[in-house]
Amino acid sequence: MTVRKKLLIYKVLLFLLAFFIAFLPTTSLRNKEVNSRVIVGILGLDGGDGDKIRLTVQYVMPTEAQGSTGKDTVTVEGETLDEAAETLNTALGRRVELGHCSMVIVGADAKPELLGSLMTATDVTADVWMAAADGKAEDLIVDLTEFMSKTGATDANFIAYGARKAHIATNTLLGFLSDLGSASKTAYIPLVEMQSGKASEGGDSGGSGGGQGGGNGGKSEGGEKASEQKTGMKVEKLAMYGESGRVGIFDSTAARGVAWVSAPVEKGTVCSDVEYDGKTIKGVCGRLLKKHASIVVDEKSGEATIKIKAFIEPHGDKFNTLFATNRKKADDALIAGYTKKIKGEVERAIASSLATNSDPMFIGREFYRYYPDYYKSQYDYYSVKIKYDIQIALK
Amino acid sequence: MKATQRQTNNSALGSENTQNAGTTNTRETKQASGKQLVVIIFILAMATKMFLLPIFVIQAAGRDGYLILTVYGVFDLVTLVPMIIAIRKCDVDFFELLSSVLGKVGGKIVVAIIGLFLFFKLNAAVAEILTFYGTNVLADFDTSIMIIVLLVFLAAAGTHTLRSLSRLNEILVPVIVTCLAVLVAIVLLTGFDFGNILPAVDNGKRFTSALLKHPAWVGDFTPLVLFIGRTKTKKYTWCFAAGSGVIGTGIAVFFAIALSAAFGNVPMLIDSTTNISNILQFSVGNVYGRLDMFSSVVWSVSVFIEAALFFYATCRCVAFVIGKNEHFVISIGACVATYIVQVFALTDPMILSLCVTSYACAIITPIMAAGIPLLALVCGAVYNKKRKSGDKAAGREGV
Repeated sequence: MTVRKKLLIYKVLLFLLAFFIAFLPTTSLRNKEVNSRVIVGILGLDGGDGDKIRLTVQYVMPTEAQGSTGKDTVTVEGETLDEAAETLNTALGRRVELGHCSMVIVGADAKPELLGSLMTATDVTADVWMAAADGKAEDLIVDLTEFMSKTGATDANFIAYGARKAHIATNTLLGFLSDLGSASKTAYIPLVEMQSGKASEGGDSGGSGGGQGGGNGGKSEGGEKASEQKTGMKVEKLAMYGESGRVGIFDSTAARGVAWVSAPVEKGTVCSDVEYDGKTIKGVCGRLLKKHASIVVDEKSGEATIKIKAFIEPHGDKFNTLFATNRKKADDALIAGYTKKIKGEVERAIASSLATNSDPMFIGREFYRYYPDYYKSQYDYYSVKIKYDIQIALK
Repeated sequence: MKATQRQTNNSALGSENTQNAGTTNTRETKQASGKQLVVIIFILAMATKMFLLPIFVIQAAGRDGYLILTVYGVFDLVTLVPMIIAIRKCDVDFFELLSSVLGKVGGKIVVAIIGLFLFFKLNAAVAEILTFYGTNVLADFDTSIMIIVLLVFLAAAGTHTLRSLSRLNEILVPVIVTCLAVLVAIVLLTGFDFGNILPAVDNGKRFTSALLKHPAWVGDFTPLVLFIGRTKTKKYTWCFAAGSGVIGTGIAVFFAIALSAAFGNVPMLIDSTTNISNILQFSVGNVYGRLDMFSSVVWSVSVFIEAALFFYATCRCVAFVIGKNEHFVISIGACVATYIVQVFALTDPMILSLCVTSYACAIITPIMAAGIPLLALVCGAVYNKKRKSGDKAAGREGV
């Protein structure tokens, strides 16, 4: 056979192969790709009744008709996560795509080992964002779906954006599992709560608005059919996890303390009371530009030093007034104020961690990394002496 | 008289054909340029070492996985030294070298053993490709059909010349390097904790066991024997060749460190059958979409190149052993053999796993990985010595 003939055969074979790959799946097999899929945006895990696992998903089911795509939720149960995931396919009558899921919400009673199975046994990716529900993940997802329909938000990522801009320690699935598997045996997830307000239907006027505390928002005046609506989200607290499951909830101050040390947060606002000329000026705010945080441990003294360097750009009318009078004095006062504020938040986080038997600053992990023998033989979180080295650089 | 002369000519031609069976289908002896050699070394240094090997060693040794990969990388770099010297010093190709030093039969026996080793390495690479694509990227595509696509590519590589393969690699390397740069940037920008690789070797027994179980992945530079006597080199080609080997190994080690840091605390979660994101899962926080997925798929093309080189080298060994330069037939035969091994013999991944992690494999593979370049180096020295003494004798006769 001549080289020319061989080349011709190759070309024909390659063309047939390309034709087969490109056209067969969509023509001969009559497999309409988009119409055969369900795309999951948010997935929720709950402990369920007895030992059963409840899986709730917010999904999008694309259809041929333009503009008919909508979000909805479905909840299924299974003895194992695999079973529950399989049940999802039959529940929706299509193959459920978990690879596009951008958020996993964990209910209060969900066991952490379920998350390991979620990563290894399903298509959920390792870098998916985590959120915790105060109660059932199912309820939160239903509320979120309602809120997203109302606001037009199309992507679960907006929750993570909100959290990251708000100086909250966010976490990914792999990050959570890695933290939990570390020597500190602790991991955190930001707690997402819904803010509610009452909106009237058919009344003369109806107020709505987010209220602090996630409960009582706006008032309804004169409306006979007042219905509760989700008016916003609140991502301020942290759900803390140990090997056995959720061990506690950190309030917003402690959550900020954890974010200073353990999370790569570089956004947010710092507001502090500033002592200036014997007066207390309340709420002088600054924008956090960036921060460096580390923990230095010493086996000899059993000490752990939390080091934070924050670059803050003060702003606002109160700062402008201070700045106009005496810049040097104002800077010193601001640095003292911000240092006190950050230290207070970190101390609150440490106190909360001691109360919940958790280690979200990962002090144990640092001891294990650099002094594994000390960690194995002597380390005890409750006896570690903690020091603070907080530096503020004003911009 | 004429009949005798024709017979002599025929026998000379036959001898040339037999010798050319080891060479490629062109009469040009210098087929690859120094630049092509450099980029081939770069690809060989990192391709399979940063494909699924990091996952296997992390599963076996936890956060110390990167150390095991570093040991293998350094071992291969050491074997690269005699290989580069052999390429530099020898003017004749590897098969001719073996024939002239070990004799025709001895040469064929040695080449048959080398061919078997290369076939084993080929199958290990193909199995990795099928695992990666068959269970992750194209999970619904039957591997017994998918492998045919790969075999078409391998057959095409087998029927072409070393120059074609080198050129293909030369064209693809800039794309591969760009994708690697994207992945490196993603890893660095994501800012994950490299400190997770500490403490090093906390569990000595586990580390040693893992180290002894995975040497099947050394010997990635062995197909370079094909470049002996066929590479046009310049003055500093050797430095660049060694440098590209070091850089390629460095990149593989970097990604192994990244994965060890990410999965060091949870080695049971890293799994080649989970999904693509477990290979290099650091998308930029879901902000810019799955850049990592695109990059890692394009980057994995380098493993195709490595598999093609192993395939090509296997075919050349077969051609030399059977004494026929039938590239097309040999390539088809090698494809059939690969298909049988992958689809029928290795139906259960456990069989491959047991095979590559066996102690026999752990002994044989490093011996072959170090032995092939050393053999080339020694045979090259003997050949050069013989030639010099032959030249001297011819000179004396001439005088």
